[in-house]
Amino acid sequence: MWTREDTGFQWPWLVVALAAAVVVLLVVWLALWRGRRPAAGSASYVAHAGRLRALPRYRTLVRRQVALGACLTLAALVAASGAIVVAGRVQERQTLVQSDRTRDIVLCLDASGSMAEVDRQVLREFRTIVDGLQGERVGLTIWSGAAITIFPLTDDYQYVVDQLYEAEKAFRDGTVISDDYAVFTAGTVVDWDIQSQLGDGLASCVQRFDRRDEDRTRAIVLASDNEPVGTGIYSVPEAAQYAADENVVVHGIAAPRTADRPPAVREFRSAMARTGGTFSLLGDDSSAGAVVRAIDSLEATPIDRPPVVQVFDRPRLGTTLAGIGLAGLALVWAVQGGLALRDRRGGAR
Amino acid sequence: MTAHLTRIRSRLAIHAHRKVRGLLEGEYAAIHAGRGIDFNDLREYVRGDDVKDIDWKASARSRQLLVKRYVAERKHTVLLCVSTGRSMAAMNDAAVAKRELAVTVAGVMGHLAVQHGDLVALVHGNAESCHSERPGGGDLHLERLLGSAYDAIRPDGPPGDLATLLRHVVRTVRRRTILVVVTDETALADDAIALLRRLTVQHEVLFVTLGDLDPTLPAVADRRLVDIDAGSEVPGWLRRDERLRREYAALVDDEAQKLRRRLDQLGIAQEMVRDHDDAITAVFRLLERHRHARRR
Repeated sequence: MWTREDTGFQWPWLVVALAAAVVVLLVVWLALWRGRRPAAGSASYVAHAGRLRALPRYRTLVRRQVALGACLTLAALVAASGAIVVAGRVQERQTLVQSDRTRDIVLCLDASGSMAEVDRQVLREFRTIVDGLQGERVGLTIWSGAAITIFPLTDDYQYVVDQLYEAEKAFRDGTVISDDYAVFTAGTVVDWDIQSQLGDGLASCVQRFDRRDEDRTRAIVLASDNEPVGTGIYSVPEAAQYAADENVVVHGIAAPRTADRPPAVREFRSAMARTGGTFSLLGDDSSAGAVVRAIDSLEATPIDRPPVVQVFDRPRLGTTLAGIGLAGLALVWAVQGGLALRDRRGGAR
Repeated sequence: MTAHLTRIRSRLAIHAHRKVRGLLEGEYAAIHAGRGIDFNDLREYVRGDDVKDIDWKASARSRQLLVKRYVAERKHTVLLCVSTGRSMAAMNDAAVAKRELAVTVAGVMGHLAVQHGDLVALVHGNAESCHSERPGGGDLHLERLLGSAYDAIRPDGPPGDLATLLRHVVRTVRRRTILVVVTDETALADDAIALLRRLTVQHEVLFVTLGDLDPTLPAVADRRLVDIDAGSEVPGWLRRDERLRREYAALVDDEAQKLRRRLDQLGIAQEMVRDHDDAITAVFRLLERHRHARRR
């Protein structure tokens, strides 16, 4: 995101020098004009011209000339100031502060029917969090027997919010019988004997990270109840080890009912600990705060990069001023010429 | 040395070819109030000669009108009174300077006088100083007078003042003269009028006014014009204005008429001279008008 910093002259001294030059020229010209004596050489003498000055038409013409002269002077000054501004090179400096929080977060949701309520809460909380994100990328993957990507890592937050809303709608009923749910989770179950594989799901989510060469903080918010059906490819510790190898921090959120099965909780907690992530067990009240805290606890490692600075010439002010001045000059000249022509032709009307 | 007079003579010669030979001379002779009684000779009548001078018997014999010429009982003096204010150094029109024209007018009058054997004197002056030249005869004297009048008119001189000049004439000139006032005044002040009234008693006063260059004239629109009175330039941008030209022409006409009426009231013949050719005709008309005015 480019931010405008300041607008100023590149050569302020030139502006000052030119303005001073204009003032000096004006003063010199005025002094010469004041002190001028008509050179007798080329001029003819005329006597009793004072009578001319007494004529009403003379006074009208002089008044008109003074007005036109004032307009001309004004226009010339405007044009000159425009030229000076252009000469000073107005520049705008823009800086790009690169996103210092380069987190990639993959929402990794267990799409098995028992997790619908937990998923809904996680999604809703996440939707509010997305609004405040800057620079992070968010992706959503759901899994049961197999993992499918709802949307890959992206920082198009509008799209993210829309998709999260869709997902939330699918999990809204908290049951597995709604059409929305069936459509949304279609493809997550390949074999009904193999479902809710935490290890496979985690491993799939780890694989969703791209830009491996970049130094980014990668995190997974993993929601599950660790109640697998059948045997998957990865066991939970293996998947956790894989995540740790890939430097992915996995934060686990366990469904309330998981507490009924202490070995599952232990396995889940230890896996999370292996990746350096947190583990939280949602209480029966399913407090949203726990989800928020869990997500907020995802550490954003700031990356210290120098801001990118770009400088643009902004000649519009100067050219506009000069244009207005020149147009004014042309206009006054045209008016003057028109009036002179009319008067010369007789103005008899 | 005789530059001014030569030029005037050649102009007169050109003028004479226009079938008015002798005309001026006749007019000039007629302005003298007193004529000598000693008969000199006869010459052919020219228009402008006094009808009283026609020798009817001689005319009948020679089948052409002859007039008697008398030896003047004394020499008359033509006093050229030239205003030499700085405004006289200005232009009269697009081509002719006013001082050239002033010298031409004075020269024509002087030349007539010299031809007639009369004396010519000169008074010239401005607001600051007045100078008199003694009366004298002959071309050389006239040329000197014209030269000094010409040289006295300078663009950097003092402004003109007719009243001062006339006062000088009143104070210094005792004899009766034919006073030819050459000036460029556009209006007469009260003191000048009083002085003129005083002068008409003593002199035959002829009044020649020189016109001024109209700054709005198209012929000079591209030239720089300097107002000689104020020392400032007359801006070029207003000199092309048609309405200003008309207003100015009306003003000038109005002033000229007022001046003429004023002088008519004083019984002074006045002529406005506009260019060199006009100068000779103007002098002729001036003499004629003066004669008629006096007869009345």
